[in-house]
Amino acid sequence: MSLKKLTTISADRVTEDDIERKLYSRDLAFVPPIMVKPFFQTLPDAIIRPGNAEQVADVLRQATNENIPVTPRAAASTSYYNSVPVHGGWVLDMNDLRDGIEVDTVQQTVRVLPATTWFDLDDALQQKGFAVKSYPSSAVSATVGGWVSMLGQGIGSLRYGGVGDQLVSLQVSMPLVRGELRTITRRSDPPLDWFVATEGTLGIITRVELSIRPRPVAESHHLFAFDDLNILGQSVASLARVEPRPYTIFFADSGYLRLMQRAGFDIPFELPQPAFPVSNKGVLLVSFQGESSEVTKSREKLLHTAGKELSSDLALDEWNQRLHHLRTKRAGPSLLAAEVWLPLKELSHYLTSVKNLAERSRLLIGTYGFVVAPDTTLVMSLYPTDERRTVKYLAAIGFTKRLHDLAARYGGRPYGVGLWNTAYLPRLFSRGQLTELKRRKTLLDPSGIMNPGKVYQAPFPLWPITFVPGATMLGALHLSLGKDRHEG
Amino acid sequence: MKDKVFFKGLMTEATICSYCGYCRSVCPTYEGVGWESCSPRGRLHLIQMLLEGTTLTADQMKRLYQCTLCGHCTQVCSTRIDLRQFWLEARKQTVLRKLSPPEFSTTLDNITKTGNIYNYQNDERAGWIEYMDDPPDDLYQRDRAEVVYFVGCLSSFSPRTQRIAESFVHVLNAVGVDFTILGEGEVCCGYPLLAAGMHDEAQKVIEQNLERVRATGATTIVFNCPACRVMWLEEYARHLPGVRMLHSTELLANLIADQKLPMKEVNRIVTYHDPCDLGRNGGVYDAPREVLAAIPGLQFVEVHERRERALCCGGGGDLEMIDTTLCGHVAAQTVKKLAATGAQTIVTACPQCVRMLTRGTEQTAPDVSVIDILELVSETLDWPL
Repeated sequence: MSLKKLTTISADRVTEDDIERKLYSRDLAFVPPIMVKPFFQTLPDAIIRPGNAEQVADVLRQATNENIPVTPRAAASTSYYNSVPVHGGWVLDMNDLRDGIEVDTVQQTVRVLPATTWFDLDDALQQKGFAVKSYPSSAVSATVGGWVSMLGQGIGSLRYGGVGDQLVSLQVSMPLVRGELRTITRRSDPPLDWFVATEGTLGIITRVELSIRPRPVAESHHLFAFDDLNILGQSVASLARVEPRPYTIFFADSGYLRLMQRAGFDIPFELPQPAFPVSNKGVLLVSFQGESSEVTKSREKLLHTAGKELSSDLALDEWNQRLHHLRTKRAGPSLLAAEVWLPLKELSHYLTSVKNLAERSRLLIGTYGFVVAPDTTLVMSLYPTDERRTVKYLAAIGFTKRLHDLAARYGGRPYGVGLWNTAYLPRLFSRGQLTELKRRKTLLDPSGIMNPGKVYQAPFPLWPITFVPGATMLGALHLSLGKDRHEG
Repeated sequence: MKDKVFFKGLMTEATICSYCGYCRSVCPTYEGVGWESCSPRGRLHLIQMLLEGTTLTADQMKRLYQCTLCGHCTQVCSTRIDLRQFWLEARKQTVLRKLSPPEFSTTLDNITKTGNIYNYQNDERAGWIEYMDDPPDDLYQRDRAEVVYFVGCLSSFSPRTQRIAESFVHVLNAVGVDFTILGEGEVCCGYPLLAAGMHDEAQKVIEQNLERVRATGATTIVFNCPACRVMWLEEYARHLPGVRMLHSTELLANLIADQKLPMKEVNRIVTYHDPCDLGRNGGVYDAPREVLAAIPGLQFVEVHERRERALCCGGGGDLEMIDTTLCGHVAAQTVKKLAATGAQTIVTACPQCVRMLTRGTEQTAPDVSVIDILELVSETLDWPL
């Protein structure tokens, strides 16, 4: 391939080293080679690290000319192979396009390079008297461009919406115009929303413009313990509708707390040692941010909240750990999860059903989530496993389908697509939505070089005829192999 | 974030690593190199590959040593891996497989033959005293003393940082501390060996130093080098029950609290750089700030990246032995942030930080000076008391 034709990029920004390529062929979740190697070429042919938008455009021009697959990648902090190539080609390591923060204090917007992390962006804004409106619970590594590509919803989305709501413009290098950089707005053709949540399949984001907010003057955090998951779910749903809207609401069930405990960390209250470590208990953290008077007023909304309010110190601790839920992985050493959008009105049912499944099958499953809209929550159900034991781990991977199916009973659907969630495309999109998405893809990336193999169509191993029986069988195996080693 | 950290062995922790990339966001050498293999999570998986039997070359394993052991990755790790411990153990494994950088054999030879990293004759270790105005006849080398000042290789031999040792004995002498240095009886603390993965060799120098300190009957050992202090706390302390091990700033802060350290007014704008081995890896953040706060007239401006989030000078973890260019890059990046405070002087509390940040100012902020806090205190001491 024509790496030598990349005239704007110096040789030290390109590598074909075997070990380096191997490190770029994975993301957050370990997937056993047996599930990958026969079907996908995850090893890129080369990795290119552009240093600016013009170099991105140069790479895309060359890739378009020669029909080379291009997979953009920054933090690679998702777990569906969103930024792992499945047809080889070039990986574009975007991490050198970071910072470049320009704040418009009048319009209250910021322009930022796409590989800037949310933590760094917020940190920089706070020093100037502003703050981001919402951010992912992986903000220390998750990048601004990456979250736009994933239709980011997370902490603060309940109050301010997802990142799609905050977007003002994007600069995108597009294969349609041989890599040329285009500014995309809500009124441009194509419009802004075409590029949100498309996981780098239409072009490469080289700059992001977002609306921001004044730095909150006050904040308060309140932690409640519950003995009944139904009441916990109802309380979460009820608090999500109060005005002024809370900045965020976090909740977790006893399985999550038990995972945290087994991982070696303190939890907000003592869990009893029952015959099986999952119970009806759970916690809810509600956080308010804004002007002092508004925060004070908001606290009054909590007077009728069921559950026992725990100390403000514990609430602050829980808030301070909001970016560190992966600590639970120490209970593994591996951890698998199903992450889903869920109608908030069904949260009680979902939590109770997961608890029932855990109890009956004697599996430790922990669930936590953030409310992202008055009627929607993002939920993560986690379970420990061990990737060093291949059969057991494969069975555990199959079990994610069981949790996705359970969520689907209550209107849930997977968060993000990438490669692995293409198995759930009919749940993610209606037939009409998918047709429209494919039309846009064909229009903007006629050669199909942008992050191929993702989002639009399931590859053979993930076709219903292979995926459904395969995952069901493995999930059943997990139910028989994965019994919790109860310590109580 | 203050939280527990864990280390249950290389393979277990490599499996626990979530590949989230939090470590990568703060790694000063990844920022300079840019490839995944030079990120902490990349290095961790290189070690995993090595232990699983992948054939790797010494050149590929060099990534493991393109790390200053600054500990920032441990600070942010989402699965709370004690990554500093991980790197030290990993380097040990690399040595066992004969894959460590060849440059380290020189360090080993120097320390084994001479007792110091510079390959000077070790009897020149107290040579810096001869430059002082009016040293005592015993050249601060006494058979018995309450306090041992462990000078360290850098402050003993490196011309720029010898002034730090001079400053410290000036202060100790002025306030009447009963102290001694060990002179040629002091050998390298062993940290450069431990950082190179040469644990057995480190053990030999530890034993020499222990014997010499025991002979003094000292109840306190004080260090101006944070790496020496961390090394003593982690590898020597269990052999010296009841002996306090303090950084010079802790001793100064105690003297200030006891009102035994009067200082003159100084009109200067300074900022403070937290050395990694004193702050993140050593747990001392307040003492140097208490010292600065006690100097009348000093305008102290904090840099945004401070305490647990402090930047690295680039000089730790033996990086200087294998990649001076990368060291310089890290130092320059850090100086940019420190100089942006508007300070005329960067104060730090580590001889290696003084060296590296001085190099950084030459590249990015030539009008900004760098001094050790001991030099500042020595200058401002209201002498005679």
